[in-house]
Amino acid sequence: MNSLLEVFQRPDFLSQLVVHVELSVVALLIGVAIALPAAIAVSRSPLASTIVINIANTGRAVPSLAILALVFPLLGFGFAPSLVALVLLAIPPILINASTGLMQVSPQVIDAARGMGLSDGQILGRIKLPIAAPVIFAGIRTSAVQVVASATLATFIGGGGLGELIVLGFQRNDLAIQIGGSLTVAMLAIITEVSFGALERTFTPKGLRIARKHRGK
Amino acid sequence: MIEFRGVSKTYPGSSRPVVNDLSFEVFDGEICVLVGPSGCGKTTSMRMVNRLIEPSAGEILIDGEPNTAMSGTKLRRHIGYAIQQIGLFPHRTIADNIATVPQLLEWDKGRISARVEELLNLVGLDPDQYRDRYPAELSGGQQQRVGVARALAADPPVMLMDEPFGAVDPINRHRLQDEFLRIQGEIKKTIIFVTHDIDEAIKMGDRIAILQEGGILAQYDTPENILASPNSEFVSSFVGADRVLKRLSLLRVSDVELGPPNGDGLPRLSERMNLKDALSELIGAGVERGSVVSDKDAVRGTLSIETIQRLSHGAEQARGE
Ligand SMILES: Nc1ncnc2c1ncn2[C@@H]1O[C@H](COP(=O)(O)OP(=O)(O)OP(=O)(O)O)[C@@H](O)[C@H]1O
Ligand SMILES: [Mg+2]
Repeated sequence: MNSLLEVFQRPDFLSQLVVHVELSVVALLIGVAIALPAAIAVSRSPLASTIVINIANTGRAVPSLAILALVFPLLGFGFAPSLVALVLLAIPPILINASTGLMQVSPQVIDAARGMGLSDGQILGRIKLPIAAPVIFAGIRTSAVQVVASATLATFIGGGGLGELIVLGFQRNDLAIQIGGSLTVAMLAIITEVSFGALERTFTPKGLRIARKHRGK
Repeated sequence: MIEFRGVSKTYPGSSRPVVNDLSFEVFDGEICVLVGPSGCGKTTSMRMVNRLIEPSAGEILIDGEPNTAMSGTKLRRHIGYAIQQIGLFPHRTIADNIATVPQLLEWDKGRISARVEELLNLVGLDPDQYRDRYPAELSGGQQQRVGVARALAADPPVMLMDEPFGAVDPINRHRLQDEFLRIQGEIKKTIIFVTHDIDEAIKMGDRIAILQEGGILAQYDTPENILASPNSEFVSSFVGADRVLKRLSLLRVSDVELGPPNGDGLPRLSERMNLKDALSELIGAGVERGSVVSDKDAVRGTLSIETIQRLSHGAEQARGE
């Protein structure tokens, strides 16, 4: 136990934790910034949305390690290539959920909005996005958890992060360092899951929560 | 006034028009009902008024101005529209749903909430009880009322209503129809009302436009005239074999010249009854005449089956001419 505490007090523990969080947060933000506008752009065409969802589903099936292995020969070693790999991982769940969520908004609701004189922008901002918000946030949550977990692999292409510690532990055959690093990644993933879950609930409009409850009856 | 001038619509990729050279006028303060079999182009015709659909030929004038004089979104903010499937916004309260167009027009908050309260009262929903509810917490009929209130919100002079009572059971539909006619008596909007139900058309319409397959206007006239003299096989079969009785349902007992009050023992008929119901009462009671009374039970006179017969016969003759 004492040695585990020592791990947390190592100077490289804190710095790798910071790199890990940095990688994850930046990758997620870029992922959202790419996937959400893309989903919105295709949302007016059901065909385009379906194609995008299928492509994203295929992308999702590619293992994290394979993406790293693909990025390395193209972009080389370091923080930036790791970031690119994580962004590629972050995009599919957000894209899938945002496209699905926007497609699921009832056409009658959109028709009524248009019939009352809402512009396309207003229909998106006031009707479609709020109604799709819970589904979109669920996608962001999935993506965030996956990114936090996969950032551990960044160490293989020199991206740093908590994976560094785990690898170090293996090299030195130091169980405390291995466990310390793994536990921290697990904690980060759980914290991410829980806080994004809370965010998702906050962004679910009350009317939709009630509608869901009524439908469940 | 809304004027259709030679309006046609052919959807892209199709060779046949679904609305064919439609010309008629909807007068101020009147309800014009578009009625006809499924697929005859009622919804298409209606949606060309607020330019959710653009015509392939012809034009539509509102108060003498082509409806293309302003942008589609601006136009639609000044035309009330209740779509058939209601389409309430599930994430917004009833009050916010009703306030949609006033918010777009940037009314101030006080004016909006006063208007919401007024409209909820108008459609028979207690504001304190329903204002802050969500659509999922309302029955279908209540949602439909909210849909109508929402269409009325910014007090538009023109209203488009696509089967606004379609989602309601027959009993509540009759109630909503009566309520709406009462409301229209106060607000006097210019309304285009779509239905495929000829009985609803007869009840609600000041004028009825009967469309037939291919979006051709078969007849445009008042309900009385259409029932008295359908101008084609299509119209007469569409209004039904019971059109004589339907026409009687348009007349109230108080509209008829009554015989002198005559004796006791006759069944009592309220003067507010329609003639079809009165006839049914008399036949049911197995008598030739009934005693017409006011709400306060004052005897007004007698009504005989013969009188009713003469009235319907007059209609038949008018048709034969
Ligand atoms: N967007 C569209 N593209 C192609 N054809 C269409 C489109 N919308 C409607 N139609 C066709 O145009 C015809 C008229 O449709 P419309 O919806 O106006 O009929 P309607 O009289 O309102 O029918 P209903 O009583 O069933 O609502 C139908 O044959 C329909 O299939
Ligand atoms: Mg229709």
